[in-house]
Amino acid sequence: MSRFFTTGSDSESESSLSREELVTKPVGGNYSKQPLLLSEDEEDTKRVVRSAKDKRFEELTNLIRTIRNATKIRDVTKCLEEFELLGKAYGKAKSIVDKEGVPRFYIRILADLEDHLNELWEDKEGKKMNKNDAKALSTLRQKIRKYNSDFESHITSDKQNPEQSADEDAEKNEEDSEGSSDEDEDEDGVSAATFLKKKSDAPSGESHKFLKKMDDEDEDSEDSEDDEDWDTGSTSSDSDSEEEEGKQTALASRFLKKAPTTDKDKKAAEQKREDKAKKKHDRKSKRLDEEEQENEGGEWERVQGGMPLVKEKQKMFAKGTEITHAVVIKKLNEILQAQGKKGTDRAAQIQLLQLLVQIAAENNLGEGVIIKIKFNIIASLYDYNPNLATYMKPEMWGKCLDCINELMDILFANPNIFVGENILEESENLHNADQPLRVRGCILTLVERKDEEFTKIMQNTDPHSQEYVEHLKDEAQVCAIIERVQCYLEEKGTTEEVCRIYLLRILHTYYKFDYKAHQRQLTPPEGSSKSEQDQAENEGEDSAVLMERLCKYIYAKDRTDRIRTCAILCHIYHHALHSRWYQPRDLMLMSHLQDNIQHADLPVQILYNRMMVQLGICAFRQGLTKDAHNALLDIQSSGRAKELLGQGLLLRSLQERNQEQEKVERCRQVPFHLHINLELLECVYLVSAMLLEIPYMAAHESDARRRMISKQFHHQLRVGERQPLLGPPESMREHVVAASKAMKMGNWKTCHSFIINEEMNEKVWDLFPETDKVRTMLVRNIQEESLSTYLFTYSSVYDSISMEMLSDMFELDLPTVHSIISKMIINEELMPTAQQNLALQLAEKLGSLVENNERVFDHKQGTYGGYFQDQKDGYRKNEGYMRRGGYRQQQSQTAY
Amino acid sequence: MASRKEGTGSSATSSSSTTGTAGKGKGKGGPGDSAVKQVQIDGLVVLKIIKHYQEEGQVTEVVQGVLLGLVVEDWLEITNCFPFPQHTEDDADFDEAQYQMEMMRSLRHVNIDHLHVGWYQSTYYGSFVTQALLDSQFSYQHAIEESAILIYDPIKTAQGSLSLKANRLTPKLMEVCKEKDFSPEALKKANITFEYMFEEVPIVIKNSHLINVLMWELEKKSAVADKHELLSLSSSNHLGKNLQLLMDRVDEMSPDIVKYNTYMRNTSKQQQQKHQYQQRRQQENTQRQSREGPLLPEEDLSKLFKPPQPPARMDSLLIAGQINTYCQNIKEFTAQNLGKLFMAQALQEYNN
Repeated sequence: MSRFFTTGSDSESESSLSREELVTKPVGGNYSKQPLLLSEDEEDTKRVVRSAKDKRFEELTNLIRTIRNATKIRDVTKCLEEFELLGKAYGKAKSIVDKEGVPRFYIRILADLEDHLNELWEDKEGKKMNKNDAKALSTLRQKIRKYNSDFESHITSDKQNPEQSADEDAEKNEEDSEGSSDEDEDEDGVSAATFLKKKSDAPSGESHKFLKKMDDEDEDSEDSEDDEDWDTGSTSSDSDSEEEEGKQTALASRFLKKAPTTDKDKKAAEQKREDKAKKKHDRKSKRLDEEEQENEGGEWERVQGGMPLVKEKQKMFAKGTEITHAVVIKKLNEILQAQGKKGTDRAAQIQLLQLLVQIAAENNLGEGVIIKIKFNIIASLYDYNPNLATYMKPEMWGKCLDCINELMDILFANPNIFVGENILEESENLHNADQPLRVRGCILTLVERKDEEFTKIMQNTDPHSQEYVEHLKDEAQVCAIIERVQCYLEEKGTTEEVCRIYLLRILHTYYKFDYKAHQRQLTPPEGSSKSEQDQAENEGEDSAVLMERLCKYIYAKDRTDRIRTCAILCHIYHHALHSRWYQPRDLMLMSHLQDNIQHADLPVQILYNRMMVQLGICAFRQGLTKDAHNALLDIQSSGRAKELLGQGLLLRSLQERNQEQEKVERCRQVPFHLHINLELLECVYLVSAMLLEIPYMAAHESDARRRMISKQFHHQLRVGERQPLLGPPESMREHVVAASKAMKMGNWKTCHSFIINEEMNEKVWDLFPETDKVRTMLVRNIQEESLSTYLFTYSSVYDSISMEMLSDMFELDLPTVHSIISKMIINEELMPTAQQNLALQLAEKLGSLVENNERVFDHKQGTYGGYFQDQKDGYRKNEGYMRRGGYRQQQSQTAY
Repeated sequence: MASRKEGTGSSATSSSSTTGTAGKGKGKGGPGDSAVKQVQIDGLVVLKIIKHYQEEGQVTEVVQGVLLGLVVEDWLEITNCFPFPQHTEDDADFDEAQYQMEMMRSLRHVNIDHLHVGWYQSTYYGSFVTQALLDSQFSYQHAIEESAILIYDPIKTAQGSLSLKANRLTPKLMEVCKEKDFSPEALKKANITFEYMFEEVPIVIKNSHLINVLMWELEKKSAVADKHELLSLSSSNHLGKNLQLLMDRVDEMSPDIVKYNTYMRNTSKQQQQKHQYQQRRQQENTQRQSREGPLLPEEDLSKLFKPPQPPARMDSLLIAGQINTYCQNIKEFTAQNLGKLFMAQALQEYNN
């Protein structure tokens, strides 16, 4: 990464000095210990001596290296930039090239680049490439073709005997090969093992890499004074540059010697640390490009910071070092600094941190430090996945849970520890036992994050697999942790924090049906034939009470709208889930959620939709057909219930969104165990629509202005009608349609058998907690609505009909029949004949006609001017009054 | 149906008498000087019309045909007729006029009256007052002054009373149609309302004596049961249909009125603007006069204020006419039905 940066800023104008150093420093790295005290002056003079050839060639090799990097990460734009620079640099070096011949490495990069581009070009369709890259690719391809035509012969010869050239490369351009191998490490984070393998493959040139490696190790132990190492390294490399060939073997052996002596290095490092400040000062005064140098150095350090730790994990600290707070914290900071950098092995980092905890624990450094490290472990566990969409691996997840638990243990055990995100790094008190310990870190954030991770895991697991069940088992643990944190925060946290943790708790409670409370409700309290154990189990707080408590706290204390909204929604949902209708309805109406929910963010809206649906289903269970229908109407009428509830993406709109959007939408999905059964939802909706619509249709058979109550229901009916051959119903929808048809004829028994039967029980009704209650309610509703439908449809056939007969027909008791009929009569819904109905409609129409006609008449009067305005109004009123009487009858006869 | 016909001499008058008298009254009140005072229809023509509908007419589709006969003094005698073939999509190039001419020529060959005296049309629940009928009747009447249209209502006939009416356009309407000006002003000037669009001519069905004798004989032989249709108490269907049709017309009427209303408003608004403009102009002129400057030139006001297009009133007139016929129908029908109901009540009381 740093290298990109370096070369990125590497314009022509930059001094060659810095670059030269950059290139050469790995070579000299092995000397870093010995010539520690080498004077700076020497360094400078050396540099002056360098030949023009070297300078130019180094420039080229630098550029080449960047290009190689760019090709590796398929950054074509970068490639293009660098290629142009390379061309210029080559032009500059022309005089030297003329003398020396075209350098091999130059030919090589040209050939390689062309190959790479061709490859990319062919691959273009396969892999997505952004617009810029694609554009750059085509430009670069053209350019390099043109350019390469000049070097045609060289390239072909190079291709014919690549080995030779490789050797030469190794010899002549060690820096180059080295540089690129550096990249290997940096970019891919090659582990030590692969690295070793590599070495055996290419022993000759690669030994340098080891040297480099060693350097890295050193750096890590020293960390902050790497830049010095580099500097000194570069000095020595310069001095060595002439004897490169002989060096190789020597280097290898030195490496071997060196490997086991890390401890010694450590000591050296310690030593160096002391010198550091002074040295820096010296250099500042001397060097011209000091600033830049340091920058570069700093970046170098970061890049490699994380990598070699793998190897080193066994020995976190030098053996003899006294483990103190300061040392551990320092170490911790070191590790943390490497975080988030490219090439940092996150897994290793976590291990390292854990090791650190162990060490801290072994050395009794106190809880403060341990807590601090644990915070960081958890944080890095979360950061393990760089991508937001991917989810934690199970082992990571387990680790994370354990860690949080341990953390909580400690926190509970030591009430004198203050934890908070507002505690500044500086004001932390990790070891001073006299004062209360203060640690920066927010347990709440950790838990929230953990919750998100849990959701992510659930979202990404196939809900029908055993794996999902396994994951789901963790939910108990998650809840337990939340509960613990809740306890903790209730004591120590601010109200806001308490609100947040309450919301978390609520979010983990609201969708669960409280079976125990339900059982308790069913069995009267005196029937305590249950065992003691059962009693004990029942001791736990009813979720309803719990919800009540948590939500009320939030209503009272919360200051952010979002938490309150969520809490209300969950509260309503929970109520509805437990078949309480009036409380949630009142909550709903009082909170005015409907008015401003469209301004909420999408997850809240999804929650709102879920709540609405649950409320509708609740109303249905209570037998409140109309309320159920109204609640479900919005969700169902769109036909996108699945999407609105966040329970899956619609295939239909898949083309409309790009991958980015899809990813975001996927993140919004509700985990499977929270899902509301869509079939149940639709069935409830259709059945309630049927119970409303069929009597309505019968009542308004001849009404020209009849409106549909439920479009969806009508759609289903039409689908049923369109069938050329009507078999017995199979799907839930077909059942409802068949039932509707039976109901239309007032045949409640058939209707009943279609709605409630084995199949429907299995699909829908058994999903309710109080199945039997719902079923009896349903039957009764069907009977009543069938009765009114029957009366509407066939009233014109009967002169009179006895209530006893109706009561027999519909198996309803007399008072019910009486009340239904009375209601119909009061609502004037029972028309004796169609004629009366028609006549009424006609009268209405004629009324409006006459009104219009009168307006024409008024107009004629109005032309005389506004003089009579008042009088006219009075006149009109009179007229209107009269019209309401017998006048209208006359009108209808003579049609004005 | 046959049983209905036999009463030509005596009871045909009963069926058409109600309408006949009404028509007569109107006829007197309206034209007065019209050439034809009465229409005499041959039994054959009636049967042929009925048969034509029975065989070719669908429920809502109408059948049409040509009436042949002659004018005797102020009587129009219709002695024969022939049907128009039904139009279908695939013989669009069918020449009606040619067909008529040929038909008449052929009939002349067999010594049948071949004077074209009008046409007949079946109707669906009395809905016949349409633009199309008006147009063709106008062209008939324009060519043959005496011509009339026979409207045959098959549904009413099926209920037991033959419904056949002879109609013609009033001279006033003829004038208007000749002018082809249906603007509100023109109609107002012509003093035309929906009531004076058509005039009904009383009809008499005439049979030869031999037929009458046969009828008498048949009547004696036929059982009384044949006359049941007349006494049918079921009324809902017919009444409902009529109401529905009436409602449809009312629905059509409403926008027409609204249109007229807006027209009126626009005109008056413009009138006002015009007035204001003129006043302003006059004021300025007087000012100029006092200053003795040149007067403003006269301007064409009609160019400045283009009067809004007046809506054609013929449509609403026709609809009104149609509504009128529906109302008549309903009135008639309900009156008859009430009578029947009272009869039935009396009968039941008597039986009890």
